[in-house]
Amino acid sequence: MKALEIRDLRKSFRSNFLFKKYEILKAININVEKGQIYGFLGPNGAGKTITIKCILGLLFPDSGQILINNKPATNPEIRQILGFLPEYPFFYDYLTAKEFLHFSAMLFSIPSKKASEVSKKLIKQVGLEGKENIKLKNFSKGMLQRIGFAQALINDPDIVILDEPFSGLDPIGRKELRDIVIALKNSGKTVFFSSHILQDMELIADKVGIIFNGNIIKEGKLSDLVSHSVQYYDVIFSNIDKKKVEANKINFVCRDESYIVRCQDINTMNNIIEFVILNKGKILSVTPIKMTLEDIFLKEIK
Amino acid sequence: MKLRAIAINTFKEAVRNKIYYLLIAFGIVFAFSSRLVSLLTLGDQVRVLKNVGLASINFFSVLIAIFTGINLIYKEIDKKTILNIMSKPISRRDFILGKFLGLSYTLLVALVSMATVFLLFLLISTGDIDWNILVYFCLLYFELLIIISISLVFSSFSTPILSSIFTINLYLIGHVLWTFNEFKTRLVEPITRIIIYLIYYILPNLEKFNLRDQIVSNEKINPMIVLTSILYALVYIAAMLTLAILIFNKREFK
Amino acid sequence: MMSLKLAAAFLILIALGGFLQFSYDSNIDYFAEHDAFVSFPTSKTLKILSFGNTNFVADMLFIWTIQFYSSLHIKNRFDYIENIFNIITDLNPQLRAAYYYGAIIMALEAREFKMAIKLLKKGSRNMKQEWIFDYESGYYAYKYLKDYKLAEEFYLKASRNPEAPSLIKRRRAHMVYVRDDLELALRLWMEIQANAKTQVEKDAAFNHLYQIKFEIETKALGPKINAYKERYGRYPIHLEELKRVGLIESIPKDYLGDEYLYDNKTGKIRAKRMYKWKKLF
Repeated sequence: MKALEIRDLRKSFRSNFLFKKYEILKAININVEKGQIYGFLGPNGAGKTITIKCILGLLFPDSGQILINNKPATNPEIRQILGFLPEYPFFYDYLTAKEFLHFSAMLFSIPSKKASEVSKKLIKQVGLEGKENIKLKNFSKGMLQRIGFAQALINDPDIVILDEPFSGLDPIGRKELRDIVIALKNSGKTVFFSSHILQDMELIADKVGIIFNGNIIKEGKLSDLVSHSVQYYDVIFSNIDKKKVEANKINFVCRDESYIVRCQDINTMNNIIEFVILNKGKILSVTPIKMTLEDIFLKEIK
Repeated sequence: MKLRAIAINTFKEAVRNKIYYLLIAFGIVFAFSSRLVSLLTLGDQVRVLKNVGLASINFFSVLIAIFTGINLIYKEIDKKTILNIMSKPISRRDFILGKFLGLSYTLLVALVSMATVFLLFLLISTGDIDWNILVYFCLLYFELLIIISISLVFSSFSTPILSSIFTINLYLIGHVLWTFNEFKTRLVEPITRIIIYLIYYILPNLEKFNLRDQIVSNEKINPMIVLTSILYALVYIAAMLTLAILIFNKREFK
Repeated sequence: MMSLKLAAAFLILIALGGFLQFSYDSNIDYFAEHDAFVSFPTSKTLKILSFGNTNFVADMLFIWTIQFYSSLHIKNRFDYIENIFNIITDLNPQLRAAYYYGAIIMALEAREFKMAIKLLKKGSRNMKQEWIFDYESGYYAYKYLKDYKLAEEFYLKASRNPEAPSLIKRRRAHMVYVRDDLELALRLWMEIQANAKTQVEKDAAFNHLYQIKFEIETKALGPKINAYKERYGRYPIHLEELKRVGLIESIPKDYLGDEYLYDNKTGKIRAKRMYKWKKLF
């Protein structure tokens, strides 16, 4: 079952009145399965935010289809099951946190009794207890991000869309956010988030779509993309005379007292380890180096 | 419910802005100053009292209408809070209507507070209340509603500075539109004549809502004129809101 | 589809609004005769209010004025005419049309000739290069005020302008003639004749000289004929008789050298040609 499907989405902007169109999105295809955490990866200016705005009906696509739970996204009512956290948290600064959540709840037609229950729970969840009655204009950026997260979840959405949620957070904040995202997944929700930071993707995403220059250049499960190929093994050892190592025709890099050898396959690695043991050397580490998202990304955009 | 959410939020935003109270306070202070001015005149002090009072309330309520009307939508788009609202399950029509309702409520509160203070003041200083003044305030309120519906149209597609200029201009034109009546008959060339007629009948004729002169000089008010004016206001507001929704439906939020 | 419906709704509503306006307006007759309420702030106030666009304001005011004075249904439209044109010409002292047409409206419509002359005087004060204002003043003074002395002064002033056409000199000479300073008129016309460049000028000068000479002669001869009648109880049969009795030294001839026609029954002389400009009054 697909939670979100984008078929052949195209969007261009007119930069001026001279009818010169700039294509920002060129045939975007995205498939998000229900219950997945989908990472939407791409450098700044690749078209991530524009794709998200098309999903939310803030921008109108030139062509293509956006289906949410197999229903077209053009009807505003479909957003009843969506939660959205914008890239920059722009909220009404004259409202208090509680009022803001109530206002958001009203936009989802949530009755006020239920709204106050839910907002209490969410305020606790995002760690803003005791700050409910402070006006948003007195909030710090991190706090705004948290309240933004809370309002995105106010309607208990099936699909949560997060635009660059990790940017501008400190390491603790990122850790907390990752935990929340994983908790969402565990409660059966679909999460679609965009980011230009690879590390976050690798840590939580089930599926990744890479967008570059308005094209999806790669889409697939993270495990498929990354894990099946160990590229090489790095063996680090010490306590062997340099001349002996050189005599064995081993390509190495010398750092301090230790040698780093990059082996292209398992046999070479075994030979090296054998050699070290024979010569009573000390093996410091053996690391299989897998293909990272960064490598994939750099390879694909070439 | 969604409509109400927008309306309440709009009202909250307006009343949490200090300028709102400042303008109401100014309106009241200037209405009080009518007492001072009336002391300077010879005879007919009640007339001066009413005249200065009504004029100042008119002036400040129009200011509130123009500034809150444009400022609220401008802020919504400029501060990108609209991204957050429009990503919720709310149609663009409900957004515009909610904004309009919220603004009209804001203006109602402002006008009622100024009017109440002024009527009490009038009662104390003259011992009598001319109930026709209520008709005046009623028509003034409809004029304010027309102004905010126009400001909604402009802010649905244009930048805030331009929309405030447009709205203020239309307000001013609306009050001198009656001069077109003489002007349009002077043009002989058919094309310019048609254009002028179109302009004349499309632009809002705000002078219709101005009963100050009749009220101040205790003339009898023709109820038919009041009723056509209100009908005109309702039709015009409906037209402006339709136009605003029509334009806003096409608007993209980058 | 949605947009179409909305657009249709908008058009219907705006048309309805227009119709309401129309029905409202049709109750009011804007062209019923009425008094207009015209009063202006001082030109200084207007200058301040114009925020530096004084010329623009002057132009707008002038356009409005032209429209206003052609609104024949406004009965009291001339009440403030002097004030209005003064404001316009204060705002833009170089607005030639305002002086010119302002004076025309004042003189021909409002029949306020002195007012018109005052405005034109202001014009010639502010625009030294223009002769037309003095010329117009001269015309109003001559034609409507019948103040030839004043008219002559204006024409004289206008004729001093190097741009002024030769016509103005002739008008001045004519004014001098009309106010009966025949000697000066004769001198002026001779001057004109001497400087004449076109046939029209020459003809005009000739005609005037002919008439003026005749009038001078008539003036001189009349008392002599009367004296003759007193002495002899009858008019002389010929003008020769006057010479014979020593009342005149020679018999006057007209400008072409021909003799005047003398009627011995009435004692009047006539010229062969007659130019009766002065007989207008």
